[in-house]
Amino acid sequence: MITKPQAVEPAAAIVPAVSVENLGFTYHGSDRRALGGVSFVQARGEMIGIIGASGAGKSTLAKCLNRIIPEFEGGEFRGVVCVGGRRLDGMRVSEVAGAVGMVFQDFEAQLFSTNVAHEVAFAMEQAGMGREEMNARIGPALEAVGLAGFEHRDPTTLSGGEKQRLAIAAVLALGPDVIVMDEPTTDLDPEGKAEVFALIRKLRARGLSLLIIEHETGELRACDRLMLVRAGEIIADAPPAHLLTRLELLEECGVHPPELNQVLAALGITHHAPDVDHGESLLRGLIPDLPHGPGSRARSGAPRPAAAPAAAEKAARPLVEIEDLSFSYPGGPRVLDSVSLSIRPGEFIAIIGQNGSGKTTLAKQIVGLLRPEAGRVLIEGRDRTTLRPAETAQEVGYVFQNPDHQIFAATVEDEVAFGPRNFGLPPEEVERRCAEVLSAVGLERERDSDPFLLGKGERQRLAVASVLALRPRLLILDEPTTGLDYREQRRMMKLVSELNGAGIAIVIITHTPWLVAGYARRVVLMRRGRLLFDGPVREFFADEELLRGSSFRPPEVTTLGRRFGVVALTAAELVDWLRQYR
Amino acid sequence: MPIYLYIERTGVLHRLHPTVKVFALFVMFWSVYWVDHPLALLPLGLLMLAAAQSAGAWPNFYRLRWLFIMVILFTTLAWMIFYRRGPALVDLKIIHLSRASLLFGFGRGLKLAELLATSVLFLSTTKIEELAVGLSTLGVPYRAGFAITLAFRLAPLFMDSAVTVYQAQSLRGYDFNRGGPLERIRRYVPVIIPVFMGALRKANAMAMALEARGFGRISRPTSFIEYPLAARDLAAAILLLAIGAVYFMIYYTGYGAIALQ
Repeated sequence: MITKPQAVEPAAAIVPAVSVENLGFTYHGSDRRALGGVSFVQARGEMIGIIGASGAGKSTLAKCLNRIIPEFEGGEFRGVVCVGGRRLDGMRVSEVAGAVGMVFQDFEAQLFSTNVAHEVAFAMEQAGMGREEMNARIGPALEAVGLAGFEHRDPTTLSGGEKQRLAIAAVLALGPDVIVMDEPTTDLDPEGKAEVFALIRKLRARGLSLLIIEHETGELRACDRLMLVRAGEIIADAPPAHLLTRLELLEECGVHPPELNQVLAALGITHHAPDVDHGESLLRGLIPDLPHGPGSRARSGAPRPAAAPAAAEKAARPLVEIEDLSFSYPGGPRVLDSVSLSIRPGEFIAIIGQNGSGKTTLAKQIVGLLRPEAGRVLIEGRDRTTLRPAETAQEVGYVFQNPDHQIFAATVEDEVAFGPRNFGLPPEEVERRCAEVLSAVGLERERDSDPFLLGKGERQRLAVASVLALRPRLLILDEPTTGLDYREQRRMMKLVSELNGAGIAIVIITHTPWLVAGYARRVVLMRRGRLLFDGPVREFFADEELLRGSSFRPPEVTTLGRRFGVVALTAAELVDWLRQYR
Repeated sequence: MPIYLYIERTGVLHRLHPTVKVFALFVMFWSVYWVDHPLALLPLGLLMLAAAQSAGAWPNFYRLRWLFIMVILFTTLAWMIFYRRGPALVDLKIIHLSRASLLFGFGRGLKLAELLATSVLFLSTTKIEELAVGLSTLGVPYRAGFAITLAFRLAPLFMDSAVTVYQAQSLRGYDFNRGGPLERIRRYVPVIIPVFMGALRKANAMAMALEARGFGRISRPTSFIEYPLAARDLAAAILLLAIGAVYFMIYYTGYGAIALQ
């Protein structure tokens, strides 16, 4: 049986879901406190969003709520945490499982069974629940997350969004006092993210107490309150309408300020826009003669094109030519289907599409990790199949999504030197390249550091540096900003832009709309192994029908701009255009 | 390539109680252990082929066909080098080809192939959860049984990770095939370290997720899936006991051994 924490107060209605008092924690071996004197109360049925940069203490706070800290990760712990009115002091993590449902970022690491129904039952088995009771709870839990009918499916066959919803069903079945989600959508594609956030809204409507940690503020606008965390302290705790208009504070804390609010603030409107409709009505209130016209180009004063491809870029001989390429993995369906495209020197291309659409497979074909089933790939006119992957490493560099898939050396410098040494370059040349690329990625001070002790953003930049050291003319980056906070994402994209400015062609595989709009010049949209669109970024965002069918959501400022008949890719661009009407 | 061997079927072997399946695994290992002569091993081999047919496990045997062939071939050859008994039919200095070395080598190869076939058959008909239940019924502590089943789940993730790391290092110009055998093993360090570090991270994340779901709260959790014992389970257990006893008798009476003359 699940033993729910005993309420201290007699009337459950006035007992908060969570109360935290003077909570502090310092990890073993660290001289910096991860949390320092955090206090807050979460009412029952309340949805709180926790925002802040990486390392601010968000996840530490979440882990304190179910005793992973200090039970699992040791250190100096102080303060009081109460859930459902009961103090958690001295309890084991497993004893708190019935009161605090925890959903983690890594959906692969929280599924243990070969069958969906059994996955939901797992936590109930651990609580010693009877079979009848389990059966009675599994159906409603799966129904709540939209997985009814999936009972006999193997969880490994589910999509990312479905896996994360299954993880939520597994905690829902225990009927916890609060559900804590630690960046539940970071590893998901836009469709998966939308699924999970739709579920979160549904759970909130059912009156569940939710605590959501997220990097992106956009989806947290539905919260009752947002808590902004910096250096282990809650520096602001307010409803979204108040906190999300403090743009400078958000930026200062490494949080992406909502772009709609950026546009409004630049025009002197200090209100919060919870959605595009609201933003539009505020702007029309301020500038009554704004044009109408979704889908069409601006009638006047269209913004300048975002760095149109240079004539030299167009005329240059392609670095990569892909002709009618098809491919399937053994025994599987077709992953690439008659794909043709070319990549020229100096281009900046974003490849987008749902998970499983063939983006990474296409990149692996370009670098030679896979061989075409039909069609061919040419690298500077040479047939890819006649070249080993290493032979073209100095022409085409590939940075894998997870930097930890390549880091192994004892120091940052050795990691970067690994590639050049493999090509037998003389030591002085290796040293020169190390200094050059470490400076380019801003890691020159870390050259003697242990790469495993660097932060995620630094490890990602190290992975780029170690590929750059081979001086490729084309750099392919597979989701280089996944798991990074806003500040780190900006830093990574600044680096990539500078590399592109220095003449390196860039291909970036990403799900992040504002990165595509803000940095790429050409978009390649893939769906089920086929190219759905290949053209300039502005043309892509101007094609409403294409966007509707692609499940790729444009940035909100682009959607807002379209209401006025203009295709604006960034907040600054839209503000420039709007200023013409004032 | 999918690494899980389980094949979704509803045959008799699939429906056996997990404890009986684990017991069958034990009995097969036991029986194979006691005899050396290929003729004595042959009935067990035939039994397994019949079981594979009944369980629809041929796709798995087909996938691993080269492994079976290599195991039998190389074991037979290896024992012709080390098992130098009986009058030589052909003496090639290194290889001692005698009736005894041939039978012994082939017998050893067959033994290994039958152990492999038993495991393939077991994994083709048993879900991970059933393995946990089977181990638990036989007295293996729940935590230990769960750890074993988790290892099965993690293996494909680590294999995927190893392939990706191998590709990443190849793309940085690293040549895994340079040097002699020892040098080649040493050259896998740039793969082993990232995979090992990744495994530690994954294990840590999994351990946290398990605790957060209440794992370890009680020593004997309840089971969602019901495994009632049926008459077929009793019949299978009796048959298995008989097989185990017969093979011990074959060993005891010396019929399973290989005569040197």
